[in-house]
Amino acid sequence: MEEALIKVRNLKKHYNGGKVKALDGIDIDIHQGEVVVVVGPSGSGKSTFLRSLNLLEQPTEGEIIFDGEDINAKDADINKHRQKMGMVFQHFNLFPHKTVLGNITLAPIQLKKIPKPEAEAQAMKLLNMVHLEDKATNYPSQLSGGQKQRIAIARALAMEPTVMLFDEPTSALDPEMVGEVLDIMKDLAKSGMTMVVVTHEMGFAKEVGTRVIFIDHGQIKEENTPKEFFNNPKDPRLQDFLSKVLI
Amino acid sequence: MNWFDKFCNDFTLNFIEGDRWKWILEGLGNTIIITIFALIIGVLLGIIIAAVRSTYDKNGADMKKRGGPAYVFLKIGNTLCNLYLTVVRGTPSVVQLLIMYFIILVNVTNGVFVAIIAFGLNSAAYVAEIFRGGIMSIDEGQFEAGRSLGFNYLQTMFHIILPQAIKVILPSLFNEFITLIKETAVAGYVGVMDLTKAGDKIRGRTFSAFMPLIAVALIYLGIVVLLTQLLKQLEKRLRKSER
Ligand SMILES: Nc1ncnc2c1ncn2[C@@H]1O[C@H](COP(=O)(O)OP(=O)(O)O)[C@@H](O)[C@H]1O
Ligand SMILES: [Mg+2]
Repeated sequence: MEEALIKVRNLKKHYNGGKVKALDGIDIDIHQGEVVVVVGPSGSGKSTFLRSLNLLEQPTEGEIIFDGEDINAKDADINKHRQKMGMVFQHFNLFPHKTVLGNITLAPIQLKKIPKPEAEAQAMKLLNMVHLEDKATNYPSQLSGGQKQRIAIARALAMEPTVMLFDEPTSALDPEMVGEVLDIMKDLAKSGMTMVVVTHEMGFAKEVGTRVIFIDHGQIKEENTPKEFFNNPKDPRLQDFLSKVLI
Repeated sequence: MNWFDKFCNDFTLNFIEGDRWKWILEGLGNTIIITIFALIIGVLLGIIIAAVRSTYDKNGADMKKRGGPAYVFLKIGNTLCNLYLTVVRGTPSVVQLLIMYFIILVNVTNGVFVAIIAFGLNSAAYVAEIFRGGIMSIDEGQFEAGRSLGFNYLQTMFHIILPQAIKVILPSLFNEFITLIKETAVAGYVGVMDLTKAGDKIRGRTFSAFMPLIAVALIYLGIVVLLTQLLKQLEKRLRKSER
């Protein structure tokens, strides 16, 4: 098998001097094109894990090898690495002072020095992909939650990342808008994008995931193909968890 | 003598005789000069203090990890800034003014200059908190969104945080300006003839308190009311541009 895109080794994140072990020794390899779905109870460390991957959370210990480089090393240029790791947040975090187009083109223009017309043409393609071309000149406050999240996905894609990180992208949405966001994510998965997705949408995990991992008390307690994961869970905590979410 | 004649006599005595209206004008000029230059010092120094404190809060952990002298400087700077804010906000501005005039700048005879420095240094503490408050009022998610796209700390500040924070900062800054005008009324303590001192000086000469002091009060009131109206316009406009 070819070299993993992201290799996580003995990742730990402690709070309050070690009293809270949000992450307690995570090891995982994530390969190009994989869609890794992360599930687990609330407070188990899913967000901390995802946010550690692009160092929004500074790990207490451990290595994160991305594209062959330890991005947690002292001299690593984290800003360069983050450009290659798109992130989508539960609460969208669109820039309210910028139009939709401004949101999408800000980073490519400022960081990649792409000329504005070119960046905007690319942004229009992304808007087409998320079916929101007609919202280019709107401000975020004029959009619905589902639309905001689709724009947030487009904004992250504009930097042409090699991996996309999603932290409960549909949890803040009204139920009728969940589908439109998941559809975009499915398209993205089909296009071959490497994705790490924290979600409670078990349907998405089954349909799109190439691997599902169960995090509990800051540790990976089980990881498997979706089929095995849901049909034949071994860890008792996972069995308990699945019995609660799959009603 | 009816009240109108008495009013006219009083007016003539206090303002016309000996061209005493010129004192009021001179005092008003000094009040405005002290306020404006103190505010400029306050804003410049306040931004520096706010920058140090916000950087320490938001980027300190990153800089600590990377090591080197930058973090040490930042930490020392942050401690100094905190000390400064505590001292300035914990002592009366009149006392600061007197210390500046009689101890620190004892060799400077220009009272207006001393007042500008004293009120400027005082104002900086409040302006710093206005800027920091504005930055802190922006949701942490905005900061994270910027960093996750690959913007460094400063780029995130300039492209994402400050354009939003300025809408919170500007009205408070304007308010500080209004407060400062009234604060400078103690400049007379160091021999400056500001607006208040001018009124008091006239009172000392004419032994008629009502006319000069009420006139001074009305001038302050007029300026403050005018500026408050401008502030309301500003707030209205900022609200409109809010999306
Ligand atoms: N800043 C923090 N200080 C202390 N504890 C924290 C902090 N952030 C997260 N935690 C704790 O770490 C654990 C994992 O949190 P999180 O990763 O957000 O869980 P999840 O996303 O799975 O719900 C929780 O117990 C949470 O209380
Ligand atoms: Mg979470």
